[in-house]
Amino acid sequence: MTNEVVTVQHLVKTYGKGNEKKFTALKDIDFTVENGEFVGIMGASGSGKTTLLNILSTLDKPTSGEVRINQQDLTQLKGNQMADFRGHEIGFIFQDFNLLENLTAAENIALPLSLQGVAPKQIQPLVMKIAKRLSIESVLDHYPTELSGGQKQRVAAARALVHQPTILFGDEPTGALDSNSARELLETMSSLNRNDQVSILLVTHDPFSASYCQRILFIKDGEIGSELRRGERDRAAFYQEILDNLGTFTE
Amino acid sequence: MLRKLAFSSIKSRLKDYVVLFSGLVVAAATFYMFMALATNQDFLGKNSMLSANNTMFIFIFGAILLAIITFFYLIYANSFLLTMRQREYGMFMMLGAKTGKIGQLIFMETFLLGMGATLIGEVIGIGLTQVVARLLVQQMGLTLQHFNSFYWPAFLITLAFFLVLFIFAAIWNSHKLMKTPVLKLLHSAEQPARTQVKPIWLAVQALLGVALLAAGYWAMINIALLQLLAIPFALVTIVLGSFFTFNATFIWLLRLMKKHRSFSLRGIRNFTLSQLNFRIHDYTRMLAMISILFALALGAITVGLGFRNDLSMLIDSFDAYDVKLYTHSAKIDAEVAKLDIKEQATYSYKVKGKQIYYRQDQLQDQPLYYFHYQRSGGISMQMPQRRRFAAKDYQISRETPNGAVQNAYNQLGIKSIYDGNALTGHLVTAAEFARLPGKTSRLTLIRVRDFAAARQKIAKIEQAQLTAAPEFSEVLENSKYANAQMGTAMYSGMIFMGLFLGLSFLAMLASCLMFKILSGAYSDVKRYDMLNKMGARTSVLKASVAKEIGVLYALPGLLGIIHVLFGLQLFKLLLLNPYHGIWLPFLIFLLLYGLYYWLTVTLYRGIVIPKVEIDK
Ligand SMILES: Nc1ncnc2c1ncn2[C@@H]1O[C@H](COP(=O)(O)OP(=O)(O)OP(=O)(O)O)[C@@H](O)[C@H]1O
Ligand SMILES: [Mg+2]
Repeated sequence: MTNEVVTVQHLVKTYGKGNEKKFTALKDIDFTVENGEFVGIMGASGSGKTTLLNILSTLDKPTSGEVRINQQDLTQLKGNQMADFRGHEIGFIFQDFNLLENLTAAENIALPLSLQGVAPKQIQPLVMKIAKRLSIESVLDHYPTELSGGQKQRVAAARALVHQPTILFGDEPTGALDSNSARELLETMSSLNRNDQVSILLVTHDPFSASYCQRILFIKDGEIGSELRRGERDRAAFYQEILDNLGTFTE
Repeated sequence: MLRKLAFSSIKSRLKDYVVLFSGLVVAAATFYMFMALATNQDFLGKNSMLSANNTMFIFIFGAILLAIITFFYLIYANSFLLTMRQREYGMFMMLGAKTGKIGQLIFMETFLLGMGATLIGEVIGIGLTQVVARLLVQQMGLTLQHFNSFYWPAFLITLAFFLVLFIFAAIWNSHKLMKTPVLKLLHSAEQPARTQVKPIWLAVQALLGVALLAAGYWAMINIALLQLLAIPFALVTIVLGSFFTFNATFIWLLRLMKKHRSFSLRGIRNFTLSQLNFRIHDYTRMLAMISILFALALGAITVGLGFRNDLSMLIDSFDAYDVKLYTHSAKIDAEVAKLDIKEQATYSYKVKGKQIYYRQDQLQDQPLYYFHYQRSGGISMQMPQRRRFAAKDYQISRETPNGAVQNAYNQLGIKSIYDGNALTGHLVTAAEFARLPGKTSRLTLIRVRDFAAARQKIAKIEQAQLTAAPEFSEVLENSKYANAQMGTAMYSGMIFMGLFLGLSFLAMLASCLMFKILSGAYSDVKRYDMLNKMGARTSVLKASVAKEIGVLYALPGLLGIIHVLFGLQLFKLLLLNPYHGIWLPFLIFLLLYGLYYWLTVTLYRGIVIPKVEIDK
């Protein structure tokens, strides 16, 4: 039980307040992510993936149900607690990088630590450490406009991980990358997962990205339809199975 | 259909539109008010101590300044409108709306918005002109004559000026929207590039900026030495100095702060500093301009109030005595009883033909007060000192009377000394006085505690004396009260101009800054959203916005205040003490400036701070 970093039970999210038109984006979602797991979430456009991620990261509130991250019930958090929770427990990577263009790579990576009130003296070594891990030491002094897409996403990953969050969320992080950069990023993520025990929840359309996961949840019309486990198989075999599953799933 | 869409998106941004629209209304109202004064010769001629021609020149100069700043103001307001709309219009184009149609729409929108604001502004301007004039008259005890709040020429000039500017703005907007590629409209967030300035060049500029400012300030302090040359010299050096100061000195300071990691790596500071660093580059010219305009506006208000201050001191020096009673009646005595009298003295006199006699013992018992004028050393204005003669000063002699006696003849005279029918004065002993034939008349000199407060009552006394004893009209027309009335009329035009120009400049320059800052807000939305996702508390984001905008407001304000403090040196020529009571205009000014700051922060926060969804 204590090994679960994410627990979601009977999660419902309905958009539209009061007299507005109601739309239920998530209907009764149940799942868990164990510590050190690399879980993928797949689903068609509009199936509720981003909605789910927003709720897990306290950017949005569930209509009903229970969401726990690291044993903390998110529905009990208020105001500043939600921001602090995001700052401490969660790392984010997005499709469009979302780096702050007026800060250098190093300054972007340092920001979460500054926000948490880490002493300036301790920040520098932590930034260097994560930059080495992601092989971006050479571009630390560059501004985002001076980086390639792949480099930008690594910087974003470094920023998401520098404060050692409980879990790393990715919303289509490879969406804007060419296939080589995408592969590099996925290799890095899976290595972080294997060697540094980082728990990862990855939302993606792309079967190739999904094949790096250990387990995949398929979401359809706001419900979890099916689940695939990679087990001991190699990635190629898993990739094939995902493709097959997508075929039946979308029918 | 498209029209409906465009309109519905206006509704979604209603708050920003209201601000934009009311800003334009204020601009038009201000412009009208100023023109109602500048083009109204009647008002100018009667209300200024300068001749009508000179005043006309000053007002035209003011009008040109106002037109220039209004022009810049409209540019900034228009760019705010454009940034606010371009994404939506870009979207319509993506959806297949014809470029020509979009161009038409934005043209109509800009034009209608502008003309609507102008007309409403003019109506408000007419009303405000009336209210402001009345307020000034009441508050400051001023007299404004021939003040027309509705004035056709002003109305037409304002309408034409704004019409032309808005036609240009509308053409510019539709041109800009039609010529910009759709994708660029959709992703118009600016990308700040690395700003590469060599540190040495930066240091040179920073030093140059400070040196130029120092030279300009020196010139203003030493206006006695440089004479009129000081003004153009100071103008050039201070404008350039302000520019370099913003372009280098502040950037250098920001870099220093950023480099100091133990300072910058705390909380969100590094982000705030970077935002500022990026902004200041973009704002250099604007901030320099604002610091100058700020100084002009604050200077105008300070000098305006300085004139008011001088006025009361000048009035005090018109006469050592506040009221002189030449005659008595029940009505006069009743009014005099109401005065808050500090001191009064009564002197007897007898008139025989062209001769007038006064009693030495009375003057020795109650010597007269008088004003002593020092020989002025420099070029600055000075006030005389109030002094009192001594009893021994009143000596009877056969030669020409001494100063004290001559002064007594003047102050106790009953005919104007300027006319040919002046009487010849004589000082005599009490015994001699008693022996003189004729009726003994009495003259009472009164000093009140507060002339300004007693002014209305004194007016009644003077009027009553004129009706009761018209033979004293010559001296009564030259009384302290009569002179005060004239002086007030002369100074009130200057005060009004100073206040009006100062306040309207402030409103315009602060709105320029506001719209410039708000135009940048839309490209900041993503950054604040990102910070929110990274777990920055809303309060931290709000504080960052307040600090960033605070610095952008404070820097030109601070520099402007320094400009004014030195610039007031120039007014030593015209004012007794230009620095007297300057806290009041500074306070008024900072309050208004602060109001604009608050409004900007509020609107900016409304645009960039992500709303946290709260479910009940
Ligand atoms: N704020 C909102 N108000 C109303 N409906 C919303 C809101 N946000 C999302 N939805 C709806 O909820 C559904 C799920 O949206 P969501 O963004 O989670 O999809 P998604 O799975 O992330 O899609 P994609 O793969 O295209 O990113 C969609 O039908 C969407 O229209
Ligand atoms: Mg999505």
